[in-house]
Amino acid sequence: MNMQSVLSSLEKTNLRYSMFNDFLKNGEQGNSKFLFSAKDNLTSKDFETCSGSRILEGYHPVFDATAIAKMREAGGKLIGKTNMDEFGFGTFSTNSGFGIPRNPFDLERSCGGSSGGSACAAAVLEDHVSLGVSTGGSICCPASFCGVYGIAPTYGRVSRYGLIDYGNSLDKVGLLSAKASDLSKYLPIISGIDEKDPTSCVQPKLDLKKEKIRNIAIPKEAIDGLSKDVMTAFQSSIDTLKGMDIDVKFIEMPALKYAMPAYYVLATSEASTNLARYVGMRYGHQDGDLSLKFDDYFTYFRSKYFGDEAKRRILLGTYTRMAGFRDRYYAKALNVRMYVINQYKQIFNEYDAVLTPTMPFVSPKFEDISKMTPVEAYKADYLTVPANLAGTPHLSVPCGYDGNGMPIGMQFVTDHWKEDLLLTMANEWDHTFDMKRAEVSL
Amino acid sequence: MKIGLEIHVQLPTRSKMFCSCPTTDADAPNTHVCPTCLGMPGSKPVLNKKVLEYGIKLAKMLGCTIADTTWFSRKTYFYPDMSKSVQITQYDNPIGYGGMYYLNGRTPIRITRIHLEEDPGKTKRVGELSSLIDYNRSGIPLAEIVTEPDLKTPAEAREFLGQLIQDIRHIIDLPGDGERSIRCDCNISMGIERCEVKNVTGLKNVERALTFEMVRQTKILKAGGKIDRETRRFDEERGVTISVRKKEFEADYGYIDEPDLGIYHVKELANSIKIKESPLNRSVRLSKEYGLDEKTAKQLIATSMELTDLFEEVAKATDVQTAKTWIAGVVSANWKAFECRCSEHLEQDSTRNGILEIICKYKAGEITDTECSLEIKAYMTGKDPESVQTESSDLDSIIGEFLIANPEIIEDYRKNDKAINKVIGYVMKRAGGTYSSTDVVCAAKKLLQEKI
Repeated sequence: MNMQSVLSSLEKTNLRYSMFNDFLKNGEQGNSKFLFSAKDNLTSKDFETCSGSRILEGYHPVFDATAIAKMREAGGKLIGKTNMDEFGFGTFSTNSGFGIPRNPFDLERSCGGSSGGSACAAAVLEDHVSLGVSTGGSICCPASFCGVYGIAPTYGRVSRYGLIDYGNSLDKVGLLSAKASDLSKYLPIISGIDEKDPTSCVQPKLDLKKEKIRNIAIPKEAIDGLSKDVMTAFQSSIDTLKGMDIDVKFIEMPALKYAMPAYYVLATSEASTNLARYVGMRYGHQDGDLSLKFDDYFTYFRSKYFGDEAKRRILLGTYTRMAGFRDRYYAKALNVRMYVINQYKQIFNEYDAVLTPTMPFVSPKFEDISKMTPVEAYKADYLTVPANLAGTPHLSVPCGYDGNGMPIGMQFVTDHWKEDLLLTMANEWDHTFDMKRAEVSL
Repeated sequence: MKIGLEIHVQLPTRSKMFCSCPTTDADAPNTHVCPTCLGMPGSKPVLNKKVLEYGIKLAKMLGCTIADTTWFSRKTYFYPDMSKSVQITQYDNPIGYGGMYYLNGRTPIRITRIHLEEDPGKTKRVGELSSLIDYNRSGIPLAEIVTEPDLKTPAEAREFLGQLIQDIRHIIDLPGDGERSIRCDCNISMGIERCEVKNVTGLKNVERALTFEMVRQTKILKAGGKIDRETRRFDEERGVTISVRKKEFEADYGYIDEPDLGIYHVKELANSIKIKESPLNRSVRLSKEYGLDEKTAKQLIATSMELTDLFEEVAKATDVQTAKTWIAGVVSANWKAFECRCSEHLEQDSTRNGILEIICKYKAGEITDTECSLEIKAYMTGKDPESVQTESSDLDSIIGEFLIANPEIIEDYRKNDKAINKVIGYVMKRAGGTYSSTDVVCAAKKLLQEKI
């Protein structure tokens, strides 16, 4: 362990990767047992918390998010708040108001999103674990693009208190790390019911010595649209799994097709109500003409400080819950969500896990991302969204590298509260898979 | 004319609806606040279950159907005193719906729904360009009762509201200052389009605002004009309503389910909650069971529920006429003094039993009615019987002499019981503050009735 060297080089490292919004400068390790970082949408007392948005610039929360408080209680030292897409809105961490985190394997490429900074920190820093948050794939996607492990637990396993909400009924706090064993080590620490968050649940304890995954289902629908490199790496990983004595079958899972539109309707409906409180009156800084009528002032402030993607999702979410459209979009999406959950439940009657690649392609270059339409970018999440919609736990593990050395990941999904199967899987896979670390040259 | 009301009742919880901040009056603005009621990013609402209980009690009182499952919604609108720009309220599946409430026990007023919601903060304008906001009220629990437009006149609306408030106060033990805890939006239409007068406080103001609207709308219609559908506010000082905004459409609040709170299965809770008999139902029952006239029944209930209990006990132990004579008479007149004297024990029947015993002695012929009256008064006020007697005989003789000197009053009283005022006026003038007004009224009534 060389925590001191991590701390002393933090400023230089961040200059290269832009992974932190706010971090410890000239830090001392003190008597902390481990270092961790947290996504910038988890509130913390000692750092500015902006959720990647200019509208919250200068905001210093008065309380710690429960997950951060628990990590601190366990002896951890919070070293910084990691960069992210504004309020979690994105797949590439390019929508941040505070610079763009860079992929440790290729600085011209994305870290993935929206927990891009967390994945980057997990890949770059020694012995590091980072708290991430997933709404539609925001842990698995960047884990896959940065070649690290990432777990998003069952909805309700980890308290959401202190999490600046995107889609409250979908948001989950999880972990990213280059070491599979860190997931088993820290997930129990941040888990548990919290009286400050009524959606946190009474839950079965994580039993890490429990049974292993014995059989896996792969939805045929998941294979469409994969890039060649991802397909190749995924196929060879299937062979590895079979070699580990795991049964692999291809199945039909039509729900995968409907998950994406339902997700965007629900997530943006909730997001548009969550973001309504940011009007330049109560948090962060203030500017502009205070003699305006309040709604004109609010409009001015929101127009100036929300990024384009936030505005797009506010408009989309406001539209889907408007009178006259509410039944057609919002209420229907709630039904689709039940359909997706039921289909997962049926599959889990027979199989321990559902397996797909995490992302359909390796991390794209920034110049290619800038050419994507919003819908093309949304579609990139089609493999990570369904499990989020169902609230089931999921895990991304690195499973290969393309010709340029860019990492590829695959994602396991298990039934609610079966994180122990995922954690066991992660540890087993770590022993089998030859993982490459990014070259860190300063 | 159609009048419908939306009545906001502040629920008497000790802590706020979604956080543990106190609901009591604060010494200074923005002191009873926390991250949750200030809407700070990352804070989460945690429901105070007491709110559901109060909601169920009110829904039962209003004869509503209570949903087996209920949940909360987000209502989005931008206003400075709304800390989250989102209000947690109920939209689908409110705690109760489809009720019926009988005005005076007779006139049916349909209740559309009753739902639970949090109060926003308070805006205070200071000068031309600034406002101050106090979030102490933010998150105080409210129940909103919505009626169908079944009320026919402003006076009826006032009567309805008065009765409803009395019932509510009794059912959920609202604190004495009921005016403060009730606010009302009044909808009124003389023709087709309706106007809504927002946030009227107090019974008198509800009647005034509605009367003003009635006159205003009638004038417009008579002149062949059209009434705009709009929101108005009531200026208490000038007694007029003023247009706030014309609305061509209903505001679109974009309701979604509140994702930070779950679904509440309240069937068992609702079954386990029994409500007390409401004052209205009690007055209806008293009329039926004891043949009591409406006025006396209401007067008993308005004085005190314990007094009404005593009436029923006495009526059962003796007979209705005896109970009426004594309870509505001397006992009622001295009730406030009795309450003050034994405020801590009034709940216990043993204190009231003393009065019952005295009346029973009278009924058995052991004491005369004068003795009975004196004993009751001495018992209730805690004075010794002799001084009560002296006082009372002095009072009686003052009135007696006056009546002898002015025999026409007795004649007047036969036709009009207001004639008693002459007697009261005389005694008050002559004796100054020696006797309490209730004593004077009581004695004058007794003597006049003896003479006619």
